[in-house]
Amino acid sequence: MLQNTFEYVKPNSLGEVLHVLDELRGKKAHVLAGGTDLIPRLRDRSKKADYVIDLAGAGLNQLVFEKDHVRIGALVTFATLCQHPEVRKRVPAIAQAAVKVGAVQTRNLATIGGNLCEGVPSNDSAPALLVLDAKFRLQAKGKERLVAAEQFFVGPRRTLLVPGEIMTEIIVPLENDFKATFLRFGRRRAMSLSVVSAAAGVAVRDNQIATARIALGAVAPIPLRAHKAEQVLSGQKITPEVLAEAANMAATEISPISDMRGSADFRRRISAVLVRRALENAIRQATGPANEEEHQSQG
Amino acid sequence: MKKNINLKVNGEEHLVSVDAKDRLLDVIRDKIGLTGTKEGCSTGECGACTVLLDGQSVNACLYLAIRAEGKDILTIEGLGDPTHLHPLQQAFIHTAAVQCGFCAPGMLLSAKALLDKNPNPSEQEIREGIAGNLCRCTGYVKIVQAIQLAAAMLQDGQSRPDYQGKQHDTGAHA
Repeated sequence: MLQNTFEYVKPNSLGEVLHVLDELRGKKAHVLAGGTDLIPRLRDRSKKADYVIDLAGAGLNQLVFEKDHVRIGALVTFATLCQHPEVRKRVPAIAQAAVKVGAVQTRNLATIGGNLCEGVPSNDSAPALLVLDAKFRLQAKGKERLVAAEQFFVGPRRTLLVPGEIMTEIIVPLENDFKATFLRFGRRRAMSLSVVSAAAGVAVRDNQIATARIALGAVAPIPLRAHKAEQVLSGQKITPEVLAEAANMAATEISPISDMRGSADFRRRISAVLVRRALENAIRQATGPANEEEHQSQG
Repeated sequence: MKKNINLKVNGEEHLVSVDAKDRLLDVIRDKIGLTGTKEGCSTGECGACTVLLDGQSVNACLYLAIRAEGKDILTIEGLGDPTHLHPLQQAFIHTAAVQCGFCAPGMLLSAKALLDKNPNPSEQEIREGIAGNLCRCTGYVKIVQAIQLAAAMLQDGQSRPDYQGKQHDTGAHA
């Protein structure tokens, strides 16, 4: 049983949601997406609510592939993302991350927007989206802004969102020659938070790395890009040495903490290993047979 | 904030007065009186409260009851009854996949959701399908065997607990 009751509001459109949030500014109001984070926090009273605004009627569960990008509604669930054939084929890193979130029951409820907006440093959707250069659409009444994934996270459980504002969609560019993969290390194979998560993406031309992007989760106050490691790779021929050098560089760009899931030193070592493996997977996809993507998204 | 809503549980409509703060788990147990759905961790990790909403497994402890209006809710009481056990229940008994029994309602419903989608799952797929249901007694081996047996029973159209079908012994290697 939740301890404190609240007013439950379920607007029937996005416009209504933004209007209600505007009216309730300054009050204890929380938006409800999947509820997998909010409901337990209302129960243990780490969050208090006078109003809960259900987003289920706002039409934010669309997933649309356009010509050069995919638009993922903030309320698309992880179950949808890990099963969607086109997501698995065209942006496999997102499917690889989605399948690692919770278990079947939680994936059926939990949404990608909710996961991002909680701003937890170990959230598994961020690294893939950072590497894919995703943008987030944030909307408030009469206002709208598009922010880069890299700008969105401010600190542990802190994001750019201001009162009255919600994330409405995630926009992921579709780059034909850019291949990205996601990997994570947890204490168990199921139902565990990441000790370290890593995503890497590359575009390869003439056996040279034309573009490389690397991101890590659970190893800093926010999910972050490893820009120096990317620079190590840029324009280089693919060799085991250069991959190892980039992976080691990535491990210097993070600021992990020690907690019950792993020590800072352990996280640093695992980070280098995961970055190297994610790079190897991405390079295999970029240079290997076309059916590699399908295989990768099974993980 | 109270509201009267119609909840369709196991095919039956129930008019219940719910508070906004009531979780689906609270209403199923305390207002409708179906106590087969268990409360374990209350944080969406143990799966003891698993129910099916429109065929999808969810943790009833993470779901506000007020959101369930208009949805088809299946609890363990609707899976089978003592005279007409569901093949999964027969298989769990036959394989001795139940010890203390606390996880069984949620485990069975996760297994049903899995088999509805994937009638012939591999051992790996079964383990992934029940990853959100913790069992502290069995070590999962017999549960996996039971689900394999139930899958074989359902595929052969059999529903006898003494079923000795051709795929019966597949679980022994699990």
